[in-house]
Amino acid sequence: MSFFDSHLLHAVIFLPLLFAALVALLPAAEKGQIRVATLVAMLVDGVLGLLAYLKFDPAGPEFQLEHRASWIDEFGISFHTGVDGLAASLLLLTVFLGPLVVMASWTYVDERVKEFHLALLVLQSAMLGALCALDIIVFYVFFEASLIPMYLLVGVWGSEERQMAAMKFFLYTLVGSLLMLVAILGLYFVVQPAGGRSFDYPTVYNGLLSATGEVSRCVATGCDASTLSPLAAALKAWGPWMFLAFALAFAVKVPLFPVHTWLPDAHVQAPVAGSMILAGVMLKLGTFGFWRFAIPLFPAAAQQYRTPIALLAVVGIVYGALMCLAQRDIKKLIAYSSVSHLGYCVLGMFAYTVEGATGSAYQMLNHGVSTGALFLLFGMLYERRHTRLMADYGGIARVMPLFTAFFVVVTFSSIAVPGTNGFVGEFLVLLGSWKSALPLTFSVLAATGVILGAAYMLWMVQKVFFGEVTLRENQGLKDMGGREIAAALPFLALIVVMGLVPQPFLDRLNPSSERFVARAALGDGASGVSEQQVMMPVMPLAGQPTAAAPVPSRTNKALAGLQLLRPGAVPPQVQP
Amino acid sequence: MNIPSLTFLDFQPVLPALLLAVGGIVLLLTEVFQSAATINRAYQSMVALAFSAVAGAVAAATTLEPAREVFLGFGVSDPFSGAVTVLVCVGLGLSVLVSAGFLRHRNAERGEFYALLLFAGAGMSLLAMSNEFITLFINLEVMSVSTYALSAWLRRGTRPSEAGFKYFILGAFSAAILVYGASLLYGATGTTKLSELAGLLPAAVASNPGLTYLGAGLVAVGLAFKVAAVPFHMWTPDVYEGAPTPVSALMSAGVKATAFASLVRVFLPFAQDLGPNHAQLMTYAFAALALLTMVVGNLMALPQRNVKRMLAYSSVAHAGYLLLGVAALFARPTGGEGPLAVTPLLAGAEGAARQQTLQAILFYLLAYTVTSLGSFGALAALERREDEPRGTAWDLEKFAGLSQRKPGWALAMAAMMLSLGGIPPTVGFMGKLFIFRAAVDAGLVWLAVAGVLASAAGVYYYLRVVVYMYMRPSQDGVTVPERQWTTELALVLSTAAVVLLGVAPGTLSAWLGKASVLFSQ
Repeated sequence: MSFFDSHLLHAVIFLPLLFAALVALLPAAEKGQIRVATLVAMLVDGVLGLLAYLKFDPAGPEFQLEHRASWIDEFGISFHTGVDGLAASLLLLTVFLGPLVVMASWTYVDERVKEFHLALLVLQSAMLGALCALDIIVFYVFFEASLIPMYLLVGVWGSEERQMAAMKFFLYTLVGSLLMLVAILGLYFVVQPAGGRSFDYPTVYNGLLSATGEVSRCVATGCDASTLSPLAAALKAWGPWMFLAFALAFAVKVPLFPVHTWLPDAHVQAPVAGSMILAGVMLKLGTFGFWRFAIPLFPAAAQQYRTPIALLAVVGIVYGALMCLAQRDIKKLIAYSSVSHLGYCVLGMFAYTVEGATGSAYQMLNHGVSTGALFLLFGMLYERRHTRLMADYGGIARVMPLFTAFFVVVTFSSIAVPGTNGFVGEFLVLLGSWKSALPLTFSVLAATGVILGAAYMLWMVQKVFFGEVTLRENQGLKDMGGREIAAALPFLALIVVMGLVPQPFLDRLNPSSERFVARAALGDGASGVSEQQVMMPVMPLAGQPTAAAPVPSRTNKALAGLQLLRPGAVPPQVQP
Repeated sequence: MNIPSLTFLDFQPVLPALLLAVGGIVLLLTEVFQSAATINRAYQSMVALAFSAVAGAVAAATTLEPAREVFLGFGVSDPFSGAVTVLVCVGLGLSVLVSAGFLRHRNAERGEFYALLLFAGAGMSLLAMSNEFITLFINLEVMSVSTYALSAWLRRGTRPSEAGFKYFILGAFSAAILVYGASLLYGATGTTKLSELAGLLPAAVASNPGLTYLGAGLVAVGLAFKVAAVPFHMWTPDVYEGAPTPVSALMSAGVKATAFASLVRVFLPFAQDLGPNHAQLMTYAFAALALLTMVVGNLMALPQRNVKRMLAYSSVAHAGYLLLGVAALFARPTGGEGPLAVTPLLAGAEGAARQQTLQAILFYLLAYTVTSLGSFGALAALERREDEPRGTAWDLEKFAGLSQRKPGWALAMAAMMLSLGGIPPTVGFMGKLFIFRAAVDAGLVWLAVAGVLASAAGVYYYLRVVVYMYMRPSQDGVTVPERQWTTELALVLSTAAVVLLGVAPGTLSAWLGKASVLFSQ
């Protein structure tokens, strides 16, 4: 691999940080320069991110653009980066949102402009780092570090109750992830790879594989725990606890019912940029964490808790939608709709079918685009009127026709009208959960969420945009300006493109979801997935002998035959 | 009379302590020659700084020499003591820098202050090397008497005298307990040398269990007072609040670090030589102490609106995390199966695991030293003399809007708070990672879970300071004291250390790993 390829992700991750150092040197009074510098940083990072996305070869090995440098050798921590299909897609989403967030805040934020843009740049680096990390500690560091700038974004530039919301956000996420830290350490000591203890994700994964298979077969057949190998016995005893610690950390972030209560507060209080990033990328770190860590590392335990978690996802879908129906505050409505939409992501993932997993991944991207756009557009309205209540609007379509057109298209995407991106994702998730071993009721209930979703969104659009202009304050509102159109247009384009031509996006997600499903199926002793099939390629640390773990090949030949939605292909299904 | 023959090899390890003592004497002597007409004290802090820096450099250069007994076995020179001395010198240097501006602002700069700091440092360095109870007691007192005097340095007002008096009474009390415990152990074994004690203990436990257990318990209590472990922490908030801020910083860093060093030095042989049952007992005892300290320290810090008191309770909480490491250290020699140990330990793996635990303790001590010095430094930069009598000098309100008035100070303080809370990418996170790693390795998983939950509670009160600095408007008419370059230098140094060691701890932690060798191992 060329030098450029192996360091491309480093450039993507650290470029915003580099620009942050530059912005820090600019005088605080030069607001324009600061905004331009940040926008340039985000745009260049966007180009690099797009390059990384295009360089990702769907038919290639699991992790690409990989690089592993030594960091804290004695504890087996290395700076290992690389992306699989899902990570590359979420990376693209993150760098796509970056410049738009800056443009959305161009006039919205006029106080402490320098600190605001510093926080944006640092946050961007932290999130990209978490997506690209292939070392568990590196992931944890970025995952936690992203809390600080987001905490400041909500707490400094938010609305009235911002301090409470920021603190709630920070503490909720922190408690979950600290327990995960203990689980990570436990994992580190349980796994004893040939090359010495390591926090390297593929090494840990491969080290657990044989024991995982043993435990799943043992659970399926109800064997005696004393016959297990020591590693498998430890995994059987501690695996469920570790899985729960991981799951809690990510469930808070997603957020899954009933630990979602921080989200409405944070979204309502956050400035438009904060809401966009929070909805667009940060929540995905939760679903991404389930996908990357919680389920593949502990498939046997995940199998055990599969139905309860899927149930929580379904409850989240319906509960979030019902809460939306009761809202008078538009931002709170969008926030609860996030709870509902992310319920689909979790449900699709826990369906353990390729359709469900791909739908879940696609839904992550969709939600980032459509909810990001909703927050962006509502931010424009809020900037003009400084109220979040639906009752304060009405008949906006008459004064802001262009804005209304934008908003309605985004609404269609959010309620999954065919032809928009939302449809593809929700359809695949429902299809996947229908075909899965999960109770049929789950799919039925989840489908009602789609109907409720249409109800609350259209009801909100009707109240805000149609009818007569009831309030005098609303009569003089200006329609969107050039900058605002420029910020909103990319969203619109992506909604249509992802809705009509989903294949290029799905192509990159498919191999990932096939591997994910095979790995998740390993937790079911009767699934017949062999450990060799799901082994991960391990990259040796530069300058060290290749003694880490046996690697069959960098491509998983066994999985190459499984292609989504191609006639004749049989996706591996989990039967109880 | 039998005169022991001492050679240069005996004196070479105590060179850092001698340097510090010489520095103190130089300061005392030159102070005498100050006349009222030509008074100039600017040199004093620089002299103190130079001596601590040279002492630290000497200690660092000789740290990795092989362990050996010095002064006929009354002391040992091992990499561990060298590392602790380096740590003490780092703490001393930073607190001298903070003191310079602080004292100038109050017109209280005298040579004696720095001399006392350096004497305390010499005591700390020697304490880390003491391998015999009487030597240990004398060095503990050298350190303590200096800090008693330092904590009452600003004589005017009730708080400093209260602090000094309280610290003195309780300190003397705890020293008496320690000496009593040592005398009981002497009664049981007939020796005060730690190196001989270990071999004699099994027999003593068999013939005289009551005396031995009581003796060891009392020694532990005496040291627990110094590290401010719950329930022996009662003096901490009042003394920390009343003492001059740079002195509180030194107490939370240097005194604590050396007390932990002697705790490890005294008790590790017990765990090594008394067999698995006793090691288990000690693990449980220290685990209970750690749990209590972490929980109580964090809970007591939660309602504090006085930042200095909050930092005092937070230092109690951090003693708890360190005790978690100590408990893990004693847990290893059981050689048995921790709940997570999948395969039986290989021969030699035990020693390696213990070395890693020691390394974790040392790294945490270093992380806490720089972070604590930095946070007390920011507090010292901010506090105004006029507010002290009313007790509002350290109120949270003083931090309101600091990011607008003094962005640099606010940034430094925010970095310190995040580091104390253990949020990456700061050194505090790395310290916690290493300590919790050691605890999980030793099988103390539930204690580690309790520890992370306690530290999550801790994040609440650390972030509250950040909330005030960044999210509250500053009050009208609040002025900050004028800038002092020495204090700002200390802030810059500690902030740089907190961030750089958080991002790249590799080199230093590897060095500390090599330094984690005790003579008794």
